Order: sequence, then C-alpha cells, then structure tokens
Amino acid sequence: MTRVSTREPANSRTRDLAPPLLDSAGGSLPTSSTVQSWPYHPAVDDISDDDWLLPLQERRSLFGDLRFILRRELWTHRGLLYELTRRDIRVRYKQAVMGVVWAVLMPVLIVAAGALVRVAMAFVGGRPLVPQEVVGIAIKAVPWAFFVGALGFGINSLTGNSNLVTKIYFPREVLPLASTLAQMFDSSIGLGALLLVCLAVGVDFGLAAWWAIPLLGILVAFTAGSALLVGCANLFFRDVKYIVQVLLSFGIFFTPVFFEPQMFGPTGARLMMLNPVAPILEGLRLSIVYDHNLLTPVVEMARKGAVLVWSPWYLAYSAGWSVVMLTGGLLIFHRTEPKFAEYV
Amino acid sequence: MAEGRVAFQQVWKKFRRGEFHDSLRDLIPDVASRLFRRRRADELGAREFWAVQDVSFSVGPGQALGIIGPNGAGKSTILKLLTRILQPTTGRCGVRGRVGALIEIAGGFHQDLTGGENVFLQGAIMGMTRREIASRFDDIVAFSELGDFINTPVKRYSSGMNARLGFAIAAHMSPDVLIVDEVLAVGDFRFQRKAFDRLSQMRRGLPVVIVSHQLDRIASLCTHCILLDRGRIARRGSPDECISHYIMNGLRTEEAAGEGLPFAFTALEFEPRRPLRSGEWVTVTLRGEVRQVPPANLRLGLRVRALQTTKDVFVMDLSAREPRLSEPGQFVASIDLQANTGQGYLTVETVVWDVVERRERGRGPHGVIHVDDPDLVGTVNLHPRLRVETHGAFAETADM
Repeated sequence: MTRVSTREPANSRTRDLAPPLLDSAGGSLPTSSTVQSWPYHPAVDDISDDDWLLPLQERRSLFGDLRFILRRELWTHRGLLYELTRRDIRVRYKQAVMGVVWAVLMPVLIVAAGALVRVAMAFVGGRPLVPQEVVGIAIKAVPWAFFVGALGFGINSLTGNSNLVTKIYFPREVLPLASTLAQMFDSSIGLGALLLVCLAVGVDFGLAAWWAIPLLGILVAFTAGSALLVGCANLFFRDVKYIVQVLLSFGIFFTPVFFEPQMFGPTGARLMMLNPVAPILEGLRLSIVYDHNLLTPVVEMARKGAVLVWSPWYLAYSAGWSVVMLTGGLLIFHRTEPKFAEYV
Repeated sequence: MAEGRVAFQQVWKKFRRGEFHDSLRDLIPDVASRLFRRRRADELGAREFWAVQDVSFSVGPGQALGIIGPNGAGKSTILKLLTRILQPTTGRCGVRGRVGALIEIAGGFHQDLTGGENVFLQGAIMGMTRREIASRFDDIVAFSELGDFINTPVKRYSSGMNARLGFAIAAHMSPDVLIVDEVLAVGDFRFQRKAFDRLSQMRRGLPVVIVSHQLDRIASLCTHCILLDRGRIARRGSPDECISHYIMNGLRTEEAAGEGLPFAFTALEFEPRRPLRSGEWVTVTLRGEVRQVPPANLRLGLRVRALQTTKDVFVMDLSAREPRLSEPGQFVASIDLQANTGQGYLTVETVVWDVVERRERGRGPHGVIHVDDPDLVGTVNLHPRLRVETHGAFAETADM
C-alpha cells in the first residue's frame, strides 16, 4: 500500500539565493536527447510488501512498540550489545595501572566512609558498633556503587558516541544498555570480593540470602531504565548530565546506604522508603545479614512508637518502579530515537 | 530473505538552520506551539528549509544508482535517510535486506582497542554476527595488509592503516544492498585499486547506491544516475547524461559570452552524441556569428581540458587558423578531434582570448566528451582538424 501524494508541501520556499544551477540546459549539450522517464520511477513501480519502508504506516500500540524493541531491535542486535559491552569493559582497564582494583576500590571507599559515619553515630549514641552493621553497609554499598556508576556512564553513552549516532544505523538502545552491562561486570567483581570478605569474617548466609537474586534483578532493571532515560535526555539537553551528577553524588544522603530508615522514626522510615532504590538495599541487608524472609514484615519498637522496618509491599513498590522505568525508558527512547541524529 | 531493494517514495526532509533552541525564550513558545497546535508536517517553520524535496527512486538487484550534485545538494541526507539514521518528514523510504553501508567505515573504531578487537566491534556495528567475523577474521587482516600491526591499538595507526582496516571489514560483509559514500579514497594508489576491484566484485547482482564526487567512478560503476540540485532531482538518466549535464552547467556559473564582444554563439554540438572509445573521432561544431570585425588582439579559441585535473589538453586559436572567422557574418566551425585519451571526461570550452592582456575576455558554450574505454590509456594527441564554413562556402584546412 503506497501513499502517493503529488501535492507539494505548502510554503516550500524555493531559495532564490542564486540562479538555479541546473535548469538552463541550453542547446549545446552533447546528450540533449534526454531520458527523463526512468524504468524505476515509483509511479510505475509497484511495491507490494512495503513493511520495510520508513516511517512505518501503522501507529503501533505501546505493547506493539515494546515487542518491536525487544524482538526486532534488541534480540537481533544482541551480538552488538555484547561487543559494545566488551568494548566498554576493555576500555576501562586499558592503560590503567590499577586494573581490576578499580572495580573494588569504589565500594571499599563507600564502605570505609559508611563505617566511619557509623563509628561516629555509635559514639554519640553511646552504644557499641555491631559488626553486622558494617556488613550491612558493605552489602548496600556495592549495589549503590553499581547504580551510580551505570548512570554515570549511561548518561554519556549517546553523546559520547555521537560519531556512531550520526553516521551508522543500529538500535541506539544498545548504547546505554551496554554501559549498564559493563558496570554490572565491574560490580560483580566488587560483589565477588565482598562475598569472599563476608565468608572470611564468618557471616553465615541463610536461605533468605537467595532473595538477593530477585532484588539485584529489580535493581538492574531500574538502573537500565534510568540509564536509557538520562542518556536520551542528555542528548537533547546537555545540562541533564550536570543535574544527574549532582543528584547522584548527594543521593547517598537520601538513600539508606550508611544508615537504616528506622533511625528516622515511624514517618521518616516510610518517607525514606519512597526512594525506589531504598527497599532494594534494605531488602538485601535484611535478607543477607539477618536471614529475614522478605515476605514477612518487620516491625521494630522504638521510643516514638512502632517503626515499620520492612513490609512485602516495599518489594512490590520497588519492583513496580523498575518495571515502569524499564518499559517507560525503552518506549520514550524508542519514540525519540528518530530525532537523535538531528539533535545530537 | 527477500532480495535486496532500495526505495524512495516522494521523500521530503526538513531541516532547521542554526541552533534548535537558542535560549529559553526560544524554547518555551516553540514547545507551547507544538503542544497546542499540531503543525502540519509539510509546513515550513521559521528558519526551516527543505534539504530533500520530492525525491523518488527505486533500485533493484543488479542496478547501481549514482547520486551526484554540488555540495549541499542533499546527497548525504539521502544516504542518511536510506540508512535509517534520519526519518523523512513526509514520504517513505527504506532498504530491504541487510545493508552494507560503506559509510564511515572506520567510524566505530575505539582508539584504545587493538585492530583485532576493533574488527569485532566495527563488524558488530555493521551488523555482522560474531561467528561471521571470526570466520572471516584472517581474510580481513590479510586484505587490510596490516600484518602484525593488528595487535596494536588503533590510536597508533596511520590514517591509511585506519582506513584500510575499515574498508577490509566492510568488504567482508555479505550484504543484500550496498550503499557507498566516497570510500574509494582509501590508502595509497595500489590499495585504492584493490578496493575498487573488491567493490566491483561485491556489487554484482545487488542493488547499489553510490554517492561520489569522483564522476568517472560513478560513470564506470553505475547503471543509473540522478543529479541533485538543492534537494531536488535536477535530472535522472544514464550516468553520462547526468554527469555531462552536471559538468556543463556547473561550468556555467561563470558568466557566458559577455556583451560587447565581437562574437555571438548559438550552439556547440557534438557528433556522435555518445561515450567514445579511445581513438574515436568526434566532430565538435560551433555555430555563431561574427558581429563586427574583431580587434586583432581578440581571438576565438577552443580549449579542451581534462575534467579531473582541469589541465589543458590543448588550446586551439581558431581565429589564427581561419581568417574568415574575422569577417562579419554567420559561421559554422567544425573541429574533428580524435579522442586519444584514456577513460575520463574532457571539457570542451569556447573562449574569447585576449592575446595582448593574456586573459579570457568571454566564454561561449561548453560541452563534455566522455571517453569510456577501460582498455586504452591513450596518448594526449587529439589530432585536431579544423573546417570552417562561411556564407555557405566550405573549405577544409589541412591537418594541423
């Protein structure tokens, strides 16, 4: 089905800056027996199966779009995603003295900072520092470092590859997703190191520690969605990068990494848990350090009343956020993608 | 997979001059107008212009379409529309099948990675699977002639090595459609030859779209051609027709025969009107009028230049050869030229030359001779012969 409109767009100002270069043929052309008709002019050319022509005529539903992204773009380009992830990982460790130590250094620094804060809090509160608290911080530090790192790389993934974006076609989704995957690789090194330390210190992992797998899945989905969104936003407005960098560096104060939400009392704890990352981190801490089954709530009695430390709804809340972010990120990214090459 | 195909159906593409949003003052009304009033796609807003206007074509297997035109004519935009980097404002376009785009062939390289690592990266960006690249890796390295340098980071490569590796990767795709943009200027002369041969081999049976300023490449590679001028198709036809039209009218930007000159021209004709074999004769006929007796310093001349180099092949002083061209009245001057050149284009220009001031005083019509002969390199002697006809009389001068 071909849409044929011979109507000229209205207001098509022919620029009359210079006399048209090619209009005056003159009689002196050696090949003046012109062939203006051409066997493959579309007026006579029948293109019956035109689903490969852009823009696609039918407006797909959101679900159809999502299926298109996943099947036609990401799945067919999984090899490219793999290569770009490999590139991002390799480039990080090329010509670097520290090498893999980098992957561990960032979480170690966060843990050290957190431990310092907790020592101070214990001193002020006049109570001893429990080793489990430090382990809790360590378990929350690695995922947080992942989140910050992935967004930091994801935000530059499109603008930093503008030569690719303007010159070669491939689904651009793979660029922020590759940053996320590369950061996943980095963070799994950190996670492995942490695991070794935990075993050495003598933390025994209970059955509830398996909760870490769905929790990390939720975190990765949320991060990937955010990386898509900020990468795309930064392409259109370059100041998004600075806003996000500020948000990320101060985000650690609004996310329970160094502390636990229940320290803020009943209302404060609930407010703290509104941060979509908070339930993921708290869930990790509770399930791994305290071997707590996340399907049962935890209520702690404090001076100001009962504090809800954990509720299964928190898990659902975070999972909901990550689904919304990932699908929303993919869809917004996909819908704005045709404009990338013009705006980047 | 269905056979490859390239199609453009009444494609219009709008661009904007300057920054998208110069300031917030600019942004807010723009966003507001977009929210509240759906602007029609075919309206031009402030500072917008059509980069591509109503372009239609279709390329099937075995056909090769050349796109030529001056800078800013919209050639690159068309390639970007084809490769899905841009989307048309109105109209539809696309490529069916796997696209082998020889555009930015080294664009995906990461400077810190080695050549070998970049082969996999660039290959994946171009749409090859890892297995495909792995199976062709040795061929790619051999073709690029990089040898042991394949394990050196690309940032230490010379620009020639970079381009050679890029071309080698692109040349080992197995595409359904080939899109080529000025990539034949790769490396030294020998490698360029190799790349050209490889491309000729690759394009067999595929739909091909080539954009180039190297007109002789277009002539030898393409079966069809379109000439673009400011986003519009100015001419479509065989490569020869389009190239001749382009060259001739491109040369015309300089002012034609000035007023006040003693000569007036009506036509410059060529016989035969087709590409010549090397060594073939062509008759160039110049018709015009001598308005008044020209001053002794003004001579009517014929200048033949090679298109690529713009160097004179020869210049003939017609006035000196034929005194009757200094008498007022109509004249028909026929010049036989033997095209003893190799493949390429020659421009034939009529000039009014001032022998005292040693400069051009005016120009007459121009034309193009296309020598299409892959076998002969030729000499540069054109064996010109001049015949002049005045007032019905006919005389032939001796060979010069």
